[in-house]
Parts: sequence; C-alpha cells; structure tokens
Amino acid sequence: MSWEDWLKGRRARRQAGNRVAPEIIRRPAGSNDRRLRKLFQGERGLPFKKAEDF
Amino acid sequence: MTEEQIRRALADITAEADPTLKHLKMASLVSTSFRERGIELVVVGGSAIEFYTEGAYVSGDLDLCLVSPSHVDIRTRQEVMGRIGATGGPRSWQAAGQFVDVLGEVETLARTPFDELQAPYGPVRVISPEDVLVERVLISVYPRPYEPAAACARKLVAVALEGLVELDWREARRLAELPEYRILPALEKLVSEVAHELGKPSPYHS
Repeated sequence: MSWEDWLKGRRARRQAGNRVAPEIIRRPAGSNDRRLRKLFQGERGLPFKKAEDF
Repeated sequence: MTEEQIRRALADITAEADPTLKHLKMASLVSTSFRERGIELVVVGGSAIEFYTEGAYVSGDLDLCLVSPSHVDIRTRQEVMGRIGATGGPRSWQAAGQFVDVLGEVETLARTPFDELQAPYGPVRVISPEDVLVERVLISVYPRPYEPAAACARKLVAVALEGLVELDWREARRLAELPEYRILPALEKLVSEVAHELGKPSPYHS
C-alpha cells in the first residue's frame, strides 16, 4: 500500500471504529508506564487527533 | 541511507506530533536501517493495530519483531540503532522522542502475508490483520475480560466489515480454532455483535 493511500483512508477508518467503540482506547496503564510518563509529561504517549482533523 | 538522509529523517520524526505517523515513520527508518544489514523486521502490537484501525490506541513505544534471521546479535543491534541516533538498548531504545523495542522472532500463525506500507523512509512490514484480530480476541477474554483488547478487536472488525481493511475471515476462523488460540466462539460472538451494530451480515453466518 502506498503512503498516500494509507493517509487518505485515516478518517474513514477512525470513523468506522468509532461506531463500535470509544474514539480513544489507549490503555490507562501498562508495564512501561514509568518510562512513558517521564517522556510524555505524565501521559503514556502523544495526544491523538480527532477524526474530523484528519 | 546516507548520514544526511538519516539526519533529515530524524528531524522529521522528532518534529512529528501525530503519534501514529511518528510510529510509522520511525518504523520505516528502523526497518530500512536493519534491512541494509540483511535483517527484516515486522511491526507488531499497538502500532500494528493503529495501522489497520486508526483506533487511537497506541502509546509511546513502537514494537518490532525479527522476521529473518530469527536472531540478531547484541552488537549488531546496537550498531544499527546507534547509527540512527538511538540511546539505550539492547532491546529497547529511545530515539526521536519515542521508544523503540526490537523484540525476538515474530510469533505468527497466519498463512496470509504481512502487509507492507511504502512509508517515507522505506517499506514497513506489518503483521497480518488476522493475527492481530485473533490475538486481541484471546487477550480480551483470557485470563480475564479485558476491555481495551476487546475495543481493539471491535474496531478492527468494523474497518474490515466496512471494506477499509482486507481481512481473510476464513483465515481468522482457522487461527481461532488452532490449539494455540482455542477462541473461535469468542471470535464469532464479537464479529456477530459488531456486524449487528453496523447493520451488516456477519461473515460467520451463512
């Protein structure tokens, strides 16, 4: 798959998933919490975009 | 890749604020760097789920496994990751504002091939969606119900039923029946529920 085609499908994929599960499903905790929260200012990773922002 | 190409790639990845793009660009750089040494990697875990679903699941670490050879010595791993500016090791490094884990040999039982994404710094292999789906269904019920894994599986089923991801339902069923998984009833139930919610027929109902 080309990078461009994958990028074009992002919004549709997010919207399809949002129909059957919450939009953000990142685990609230995990085995790497200490190193992740240290690197990402208390979070477990970077913030996600909303579907409408794709 | 030349030193200048690596420098530019790292600047781009460091500046990238979208977690999914950041992971896939880094997977591209890491995969290309290992490939130059004759080593093939595949993206697994949360980054693979994100590639298929855009599910807002991934955290700050990228997981890759070895495809071939099945073992790479510690010195080679440190040399390859060191060339792209990573610190730490020997299985987990920090680079361009994220963590990169290069784990052992990939665990895959699917007969379907890995997906391949033509990413900015070279091709990225991603573990097949059938492997991802059946693994998540298993984790969602054993050893005890686990909602984040169920949500991942539901999103993957949704994008597949909508035709946004190509998933071989017969292969997923075959995997779910294997002794390594023994999870077919849970898979069929989850697929049926999601199909019902989307107003689509379940591929497992004839």
